Amino acid sequence: MSARDRILARLASRLATGADREAAVSARLAGERPDTPRPMQSRTTPEERVEAFIARAVKADATASLIGSMADLPAALADELRRRNLGPSVRAGSDPALAALDWGGVEVSRGVGRIEEPATLSVAPYGLAETGSLAFCSGPENPVTLTFLGETHFAVVRAGDIHAGFEELFAAHRASGRDPRTLNFVTGPSRSADIGQTLQLGAHGPVALHIFVVGE
Amino acid sequence: MSRKPRVALFVTCLVDMFRPSVGFASVALLTEAGCEVEVPPTQTCCGQPAYNSGDRETAKRLARSVIAAFEGYDYVVGPSGSCMGTLVKDYPAMFEGEPAWAARARALAAKSHEITSFLVDVMGFTPTDMKFAGSVTYHDSCSGLRGLGVQAQPRKLLGAVEGLALKEMKDADVCCGFGGTFCVKYPDISAKMAGDKTANIAATGAGTILAGDLGCLMNMAGKLSREGRPVKARHVVEVLAGMADGPAIGEARE
Amino acid sequence: MTAHEPTSRLFKENVKAAMADPNLQKAMKNAGEGFVGKRRAAAGGVPEFDQIRDAARDLKNHVLGHLDLYLARYEEKVTAAGGHVHWAETAEDMRRIVLDICRSVDAKTVNKGKTMISEEAGINGWLEENGIRPVETDLGEYIIQLRGEAPSHIIAPAIHVTSDEVEALFRERHTHLPADRNLSELSSMLSEARTILRQKYFEAEVGITGANMLIAETGQSIIVTNEGNGDLSQSLPKVHIVLASLEKIVPTMEDAATVLRVLARSATGQDMSVYTTLSSGPRRAEDPDGPEQYHVILLDNGRTEMVGTEFQEMLRCIRCGACMNHCPVYQAVGGHAYGWVYPGPMGAVLTPSLIGVEEGGMLPNASTFCGRCEAVCPMRIPLPKMMRHWREREFERNLSPKAARYGLKFWAAFAERPALYRLATRAAIFALGLMGRKRGRFAKLPLAGGWTAQRDFPAPEGGTFMAAWARAQKVKGAR
Repeated sequence: MSARDRILARLASRLATGADREAAVSARLAGERPDTPRPMQSRTTPEERVEAFIARAVKADATASLIGSMADLPAALADELRRRNLGPSVRAGSDPALAALDWGGVEVSRGVGRIEEPATLSVAPYGLAETGSLAFCSGPENPVTLTFLGETHFAVVRAGDIHAGFEELFAAHRASGRDPRTLNFVTGPSRSADIGQTLQLGAHGPVALHIFVVGE
Repeated sequence: MSRKPRVALFVTCLVDMFRPSVGFASVALLTEAGCEVEVPPTQTCCGQPAYNSGDRETAKRLARSVIAAFEGYDYVVGPSGSCMGTLVKDYPAMFEGEPAWAARARALAAKSHEITSFLVDVMGFTPTDMKFAGSVTYHDSCSGLRGLGVQAQPRKLLGAVEGLALKEMKDADVCCGFGGTFCVKYPDISAKMAGDKTANIAATGAGTILAGDLGCLMNMAGKLSREGRPVKARHVVEVLAGMADGPAIGEARE
Repeated sequence: MTAHEPTSRLFKENVKAAMADPNLQKAMKNAGEGFVGKRRAAAGGVPEFDQIRDAARDLKNHVLGHLDLYLARYEEKVTAAGGHVHWAETAEDMRRIVLDICRSVDAKTVNKGKTMISEEAGINGWLEENGIRPVETDLGEYIIQLRGEAPSHIIAPAIHVTSDEVEALFRERHTHLPADRNLSELSSMLSEARTILRQKYFEAEVGITGANMLIAETGQSIIVTNEGNGDLSQSLPKVHIVLASLEKIVPTMEDAATVLRVLARSATGQDMSVYTTLSSGPRRAEDPDGPEQYHVILLDNGRTEMVGTEFQEMLRCIRCGACMNHCPVYQAVGGHAYGWVYPGPMGAVLTPSLIGVEEGGMLPNASTFCGRCEAVCPMRIPLPKMMRHWREREFERNLSPKAARYGLKFWAAFAERPALYRLATRAAIFALGLMGRKRGRFAKLPLAGGWTAQRDFPAPEGGTFMAAWARAQKVKGAR
């Protein structure tokens, strides 16, 4: 008997038996779920959603700005880079939404995160109004290391991709057919309170997170 | 209810031995609130020290005699959230798997109350013509607070006492470090917790610390006097019954 | 030494040392109050918080009732995503599996995100013994690794270290940096550690993380962090190893959300931690980054033996740390006094379960049963009740201290005989009352040295209530 089989056998011998156990598990994994309470803040209406998302992201120490369309991103990014005294360059993946743009004076290099990355740019396929979080999918379009290695991380999310709660976001994720290695929820820039129990921003990940919310 | 409710006073060991005046104050308050008070003579201890020390059998023996002694009354009331918590919360759990005793334990639990919550929640009582000149602060004893939800009731009663100023302390809901046998098993930690508590008491500037449990009060009083802090310690019923003119806990009688 | 040897049986000595350590006392004072206030505000900000706690409890109870089945389903999904699931019955099994994987890629350095299971299995010492360098990347873990210590808190491992001590430590250990550099600001220390660790991320062949949850539906493992170190540790090396105990399963992503909704609020008072990452399998064929291998090692180490016992509910624990943040005993002595991996109330229940009541039996006794832990536990684990269960087992097995047992027996012998009890209490109180009458309190009392060393013992008023009541009734009757 393998360790696996011994462990499972030990559990089975200590748990109730019966064919309905298997059925209960299958049903649950197929999405049958008892009514589960969720926070009021996960139930924003479409009208209030963007505002709620931004308010919660800002509460988590991110900054955010609204832009009218993807076409406005290069200029908005150039402004933000200048305002932060960063050079006019950014690291990004091969996301088609970015590739289609005219970047003008901003130099966009493509690829994974390197050891020094003053500024990185990723597109988030989802936003979560409930907590002000972004959710990124790893892959060539938006390499996961860009999310963590940028000193300043710029993120783009479409207003229509901001979901009220986890339930809606996960439903959209399943429906999208995406199967990334990582689904990364990001809520504000990185932080640590491990020195002297005092919270400081910019632990291992970004010191700053700026979100461009596109559209509407 | 047309007739007066018959209330059995659960005196508690500590009140019986260390501060009988709390027992008399309890009787006075319950009578004032319109109860017929009796003191079942065969009562000793609720068994909590045994239960919390892992001696379940002894605890159950004591519980059975408490259940038998107190079953015939409308209510069982005691001046302690800790002991009453044992009757209300622990007895039913203790007899899981013994249906007959479990039923009796649940029946007792359903009519058992800590005194301040009984006065407010069951009797709708408000003290009248009660006076106390001075400021007090109130410590929420753990079992009463988290086990029985006693928090607003003593404050409501104290609010009706003329001349009394309640000054809330920081961390009123944090344990004072008594913990029954804990204070003997881990005296250093217990004393540290008591010291944190007395510092918070002193910071309010109140002249008297009140609480609903004598164990906590003896612990806090002992720490206050060792530190030379001039704060008196009393059970809350002493003030509510207008019996707060004698020596406070740990004060000399002569 | 492969694991930190437990010192739980020396709890009393550990407590003495902890209470005499001014740095520890200072650090604990700074830390404790912040957590409590933040949790209160975060929980208070969600009107449905207690209902979500109930749902989280029910969810985990359902999982524990079907754990064998969920584990099998989870394994299928991980395998389908190209990952490997390994089963470790003991800490030793886990160490061996970790080493085999490391050797298979000829690893020299292993980066580690925060994982308590690694502490439980003694992974760091074991890797060192085998010539592999473990590098802790969580800032708190990094600090205590430099100090040669174990974590003293499950989410704030260096909570016992003051910032002055961190500065001294960095000066002592970061010898490649100029000795006269300015480290007076906390930010300069953070930046120094960040720079050093950034380099390490790119050097390691293997990254080890823990798992806050494992999702049966998708085969994903979840880590929840604030620093981003766990993500760098799993994304940059060739191999990602997840160390998880087998009760971490939740059925679906929505179920994970239910737990996430109580986790960060209970732990740090955030609505959501900065990084919550769901990982499945190795990098996809087209991916430019991420690990090439993904391994999950599931640890039992005594947990299956808890299923079906009075300690099963402990397996709901999500390691948020709220119980210790609210525990006055933990706050007084810090985590190291508990002597093994898990401190505070959750440790007091878990330690005897995992390493035996002979070693860990002191811990469930070190509680006033104040109930604050249970009041804040997001999974509604009845921690005091389970500590009492341990006391019962100790009592049954005659493991509790002799003096306490005899004292209890002696007292019970009276308490079970009301008439005798009346006589005995009257006599005792009469004597004590006489002795204490003058001062109202005792500064010293035989057999109560523990009490009177640091506080007075209030004297009784004199006479028992029961005797006085009986007299009063007699007078009333005579009238």
